[in-house]
Amino acid sequence: MSAVPDSSRSLAAVLEEPVVPEKLSERIARRVARGPLHAVIIVVCLIWMVPWFGLLVSSFRPKADIASTGWWTAFNPPFQFTLQNYADVLAAQGLARGFLNSLIIAVPATLITMFVAALAAYAFSWMRIPGRNLLFLVVVGLLVVPIQMTLIPVLRIFAGLNLTGTFLGVWLAHTAYGLPFAIFLLRNFFVALPKDLLESAFLEGASHFKAFFRIVLPLSVPSLAALGIFQFLWLWNDLLVALVYLGGSRQVAPLTVSISNLVSSFGSEWHLLTAAAFVSMILPLIVFFALQRYFVQGILAGAVKG
Amino acid sequence: MARVYFEHVTKRFGKVLALDDFHLEVTDQEFLVLVGPSGCGKSTALRLLAGLESITEGSIYIGDRKVNHVPSKDRDIAMVFQSYALYPHMTVFDNIAFGLRLRKTPKEEIKKRVTQAAELLGVAPLLTRKPGQLSGGQRQRVAVARAIVREPAVFLLDEPLSNLDAKLRVNTRAEISKLHHRLGTTFIYVTHDQVEAMTMATRIAVMNEGIIQQVGTPQELYERPGNIFVAGFIGSPSMNLFEVELKSDDGRLLLDSGPFQIGVPADRADELARCARKHLVLGVRPENIHDAAFQPAGISAAPLTAKVEVTELMGNEVFLHLTAGDYRFLARVDPRTNARADQDLSLVVDTDRMHVFDPESELALCQDDAGSAPGESGAAATPSEDVAASRAEGNSAR
Repeated sequence: MSAVPDSSRSLAAVLEEPVVPEKLSERIARRVARGPLHAVIIVVCLIWMVPWFGLLVSSFRPKADIASTGWWTAFNPPFQFTLQNYADVLAAQGLARGFLNSLIIAVPATLITMFVAALAAYAFSWMRIPGRNLLFLVVVGLLVVPIQMTLIPVLRIFAGLNLTGTFLGVWLAHTAYGLPFAIFLLRNFFVALPKDLLESAFLEGASHFKAFFRIVLPLSVPSLAALGIFQFLWLWNDLLVALVYLGGSRQVAPLTVSISNLVSSFGSEWHLLTAAAFVSMILPLIVFFALQRYFVQGILAGAVKG
Repeated sequence: MARVYFEHVTKRFGKVLALDDFHLEVTDQEFLVLVGPSGCGKSTALRLLAGLESITEGSIYIGDRKVNHVPSKDRDIAMVFQSYALYPHMTVFDNIAFGLRLRKTPKEEIKKRVTQAAELLGVAPLLTRKPGQLSGGQRQRVAVARAIVREPAVFLLDEPLSNLDAKLRVNTRAEISKLHHRLGTTFIYVTHDQVEAMTMATRIAVMNEGIIQQVGTPQELYERPGNIFVAGFIGSPSMNLFEVELKSDDGRLLLDSGPFQIGVPADRADELARCARKHLVLGVRPENIHDAAFQPAGISAAPLTAKVEVTELMGNEVFLHLTAGDYRFLARVDPRTNARADQDLSLVVDTDRMHVFDPESELALCQDDAGSAPGESGAAATPSEDVAASRAEGNSAR
């Protein structure tokens, strides 16, 4: 007789166990034992946070103050903070346009990558294709190809197809560069889905197409969300691909290119650079904090068979 | 409703032979149970029928249609998986309706049929819940409801009771049997639990190492096991097996195990003498060994003395764990027995019900009486002559 435990029963059994209150001495011992770990974590966080916090404070200080005193003096009276730096970079320096361009680049390229990778990962996981594993190995192998190797050949192809300087070109480039990792991540998640679920769907009359959309995709939201975050953050922070395929034109340049230009032109204008840095950080921070639950799940996606 | 016919089917996974010349006919409306130990190929046979694996050699027919290359969805079968395979993101209603929706059944019809199936299985109050909110038994019922709602021609069940607790398993066994009667559909059920097989099947196919050992009704398999494997596998507790030597004592045949001798009854002596070999395997079911003090009337009794190791009172009977020489064996005796541990006890063996096997081929001897060896007898327990049964080469494991 098989002895696969019924999870609900095991849970019930656990719940029925009497809860023994932890003694004070045990609690103290536990905290003391964990104390050094907590201390190390706090110190590491502080080391990471201090420069970031300094940057944030500086972005709200007047130009003259930044040039003359350190950021920590901002908390001494008189408290002089201003939003002028942000107004300047967004309007006068064209960062608002860069912000919009970054969105135009990152959102479609992320969605295209996710969709194509999900289809490919499904095929690698659940379709009987001759040489499937070898093909997957080749795709994963592409992860080690340096992006710089591809720049000139792809640029020549794009030039021939009139795709340089267009959003379509950069979408295609980002999708291609993102696919090996995306397929790897999703395939590991898809392949860990219970085989019975898919087989049951096929017996019920589902085609691969329907099994993909009605079973696999709804069950893979955590891994898709994690991939979405990864990909979006990479694209948002990308400078190289945008610079090469889009050029420096203000009409199409994303935020990273705009800030890079800002550094070249106003290298000593700290009040502008700090504000610009924060403009570029706002959206990734929002995305990360909104979806951090999935982000952690996604890092583990496919690591263990659930 | 349909018959299912496996025609000399072989399945290999690389170099591993999972099914070897599997030849079996399941008649329309039959409840056939494939039973055997883990890895014997029973689930593989089911998956081949479902179209979830491809056939290496041979053919499978559902009705008169050869389905070797027919996709799963077009085979008109439904399957209940051991894990139930319920879609966790869908409600019970959506789970049951899944197949109907894929077939573009009208909404009203879907609602009607899902409700009917849910009521039949007693899950109607759970239709809005998700599988995660159900107990193991409820999930199992939903899985069965999902399978029956499409009214398939063949209904496959792959160890559907394995994840249930013992009490629920007994209840569900009876309900599945009732369901079979009510639906009148062909059921093919896979299990490694011979109790499930014996209680539910109209016919059982016992498998081992990818080979059908014997096919027959539960009664036939129990009373006339075709080989040592079937003898040991069917019946709980399993049959006691003794290596014996056939001897003659003043013209009377004896089966001598060393510590005890059992006289062969006159009516079986001729048969044994005719097909006899010197070394044999004697099989006696525990219920055919009686406490001599409570010997049933009218049996052909051969005396036997053994030492009692342990007694287990089951209420209506007592299990005695016995030793005689190097042999350890089990007897189910009358609950009034006075047997105590560490005492010698006089027992009798019902020689009319003993089984004799050839130790080399492991097949039952004197098949006219003691059981039909599959393959040699033309598969007595199958409904048609060409259906089969098994290989008689005696490759079953002990």
